[in-house]
Amino acid sequence: MNAVFALGLAILVIGVLSVAFVRPKTYVARLINLEIPAWGLLLVMLAYDEALALLTFVAVTAISTFVIVRLMEWRDASC
Amino acid sequence: MIADYSIGLLVAFASAGVAFFALMRETDGLHRLLLTDLIEVVTLAFIALVGTDLAEALILPGLVVGVSELIALSEIYRVKEGYVRPPAAGLQIEVMESAPGILAAILVVYGIVLSGFSGGAVAGLGVIFYFLSRSHSERFELIETASGYSWVLWIVAFFVFMLLPEYWFFAVMLAGSAILVKVMAKMSLIGTMRGGPDV
Repeated sequence: MNAVFALGLAILVIGVLSVAFVRPKTYVARLINLEIPAWGLLLVMLAYDEALALLTFVAVTAISTFVIVRLMEWRDASC
Repeated sequence: MIADYSIGLLVAFASAGVAFFALMRETDGLHRLLLTDLIEVVTLAFIALVGTDLAEALILPGLVVGVSELIALSEIYRVKEGYVRPPAAGLQIEVMESAPGILAAILVVYGIVLSGFSGGAVAGLGVIFYFLSRSHSERFELIETASGYSWVLWIVAFFVFMLLPEYWFFAVMLAGSAILVKVMAKMSLIGTMRGGPDV
């Protein structure tokens, strides 16, 4: 088994566990932990040489992070 | 190679199970939104495991649908909870003044070199960062018009593929640059989500 592929799968599992059972249970902690499974997915994509998918995933992840951060910002302003 | 795929599939199924379990147990709306994002990442691993050009072709629309779904859900959640706009712009740090121009220039140039859908996404990201960090007073009808015309060029390229197949290279270039402009224009609209004039 390719080392990059194995590492990607391991990080994916670790990341999913760290997001699903996050401590302390705050929005920011969960958002930051969300980067870990994304790294795992990127390594899996890298193992299969999916450069286009990898680049687009990086771009779209930045947008989704922005959308969630914006929601948190508005939430803090309202509460 | 088959063993790789089986192990990967098993791991992805287990991860998806854990993610859906966490979503089932969660009651808070914003936490559920974050877990939806997690499920998107995990299920994209299924597609990535296919490992061929088909995977790349399937991941691109999957990502786009995912992010548009996230934007729509966040807007619904915001309206439902009755959140109001923050009184002042949130981040007032020096790097937001100097970096966006350089970052946007690099990303847009690299996106134009890539061309096509991914190029549009990368260049669009540069434009988003620029609009987010600076105040924007562009006339968005103009950008939307350019986006509409480039969409027409994209369709024209497909007609060239079907009717005049000997000009395929011209059609590839036309489709690549047209979809670049189209995706970039649409994504630049996300940069205006903080509100402002002309939106």
